[in-house]
Amino acid sequence: MIEVRNLQKQFGAVAALRDVSFRAPDGAITGLLGANGAGKSTTLRTICGVLTPGGGEVRIDGASLAGDPLALQRRVGGLLDHAGLYARLTPREIFTFSGRLHGIAWRRLRERVEEVIAFLGMQPIADRRTGGFSQGERMKTALGRALIHSPRNLLLDEPTNGLDVPSVRALRLLLHRARDAGACIVFSSHVLEEVRALCDRVVILAQGHVVAEGTSAELCRRAGVRTLEDAFVAFTGTAEVL
Amino acid sequence: MLNQLLTIAGKELTDSWHDRRALLSAAVYSLMGPAVVSMVSLAIRGKHGESQPVLIAMMSVFTLVSAFVGGMNVAMDSIAGERERRSLLPLLMHPVSRLEVLLGKWVAVAAFSAAGLTLNVAGFALLLGRVPPWQMALCLVPLPLLAAALEVWVSTVCRGVKEANTYLSMLVFLPMGLGMFMVFSPVAGRPWWNFLPVAGQQLQLEAGMKGGQLDMPQTLFLMLATAVLAGLALVAAADRLEQDDVVYGE
Repeated sequence: MIEVRNLQKQFGAVAALRDVSFRAPDGAITGLLGANGAGKSTTLRTICGVLTPGGGEVRIDGASLAGDPLALQRRVGGLLDHAGLYARLTPREIFTFSGRLHGIAWRRLRERVEEVIAFLGMQPIADRRTGGFSQGERMKTALGRALIHSPRNLLLDEPTNGLDVPSVRALRLLLHRARDAGACIVFSSHVLEEVRALCDRVVILAQGHVVAEGTSAELCRRAGVRTLEDAFVAFTGTAEVL
Repeated sequence: MLNQLLTIAGKELTDSWHDRRALLSAAVYSLMGPAVVSMVSLAIRGKHGESQPVLIAMMSVFTLVSAFVGGMNVAMDSIAGERERRSLLPLLMHPVSRLEVLLGKWVAVAAFSAAGLTLNVAGFALLLGRVPPWQMALCLVPLPLLAAALEVWVSTVCRGVKEANTYLSMLVFLPMGLGMFMVFSPVAGRPWWNFLPVAGQQLQLEAGMKGGQLDMPQTLFLMLATAVLAGLALVAAADRLEQDDVVYGE
């Protein structure tokens, strides 16, 4: 479970997060929805402990991130922004490196790497260098790295960017399986259809604030509109800007 | 702490070992010294017996340079490259401190620097047909540590590989320029130069290769001074890595 309270973050003169609070429960996919620059990536980077919050608090499974961020990082896995793979290493090598950093003992790690490879259906590419991978293969490798330590909480920042239809469907299936196993998943996107199809709950961000939170149907009802897109426009107050 | 550091160093060593083109380039640079000096010695053979001291002085410049070029590609790729390909963010999502990341990479860069230096010294030893005195190892050991620390620091400040390449190539002028100055300038013989990192190593190298004795207290002081300078570079790099914007790519 991830709880974010009054999160703030300033970069120089720019206030990226002004007041972000939401709760992402276990066994559900929570969608972070927002326009470009609304603060989705900054929120996710703060939750995973890479950025220090300027104010407010992040709690993971009930414990504050401010206490021991490195210990809490073991409870979180993430696929943020970009795959960021090592081109000269194979998925197996990348997973092993990642598992070692998470402190998994060698004997267990060898089994775990096999499990992840099997879970993602990566057997044919597990020993090929990632340099020549397609977008979908890169995404799978990055996802495998995020899953290697079996985290209870999973953060995904626009994971479907650049993926073809089969890869998007495969990802959706994987996320549903992880959710049904009880994981807390936070998923950011600016593709409304994606969020509607995948997420149990939606948090709408605009200019560093949370402007609405609830299920897709609740948000539509509250805004008095029929589609999530109309609800998004109603809550963020952004009409077409051309 | 040590476990995480070694895991990072191990990964960088494997990764750089796969980069055969960079390895070849570093090896060519390391062996350039012995190759050039052997050609010069062929050209001036038999002219007069005074040529050997100058050749040895030239060699020492190449040796200093080899410690810097040995790890250059690794520093560039593993730090500035890490930011450019945006793999630093996923790395920092692991339960690992930024200091551990930095020190792990430094160890890997230093290992390649040391390999370049060893290759170079072995080349010269073969060329001269003379094994350098063991004390020389003491004076040379801190050199790759310093070269790696400076390269890691420069690479941390840069946002991408291209920028790092520019500044790291300039960094190589430090041993080259200082070395040339020491060989040719009349003011360079002053005793206090012996205590200056890089310059001191050059003088000791010359003395050692000529078959002279190394002054032990002087060597120890030089080791210490070089280690302190390396430490300062690492502190500066660690400070840079703590800033928020490093997790963003170019």
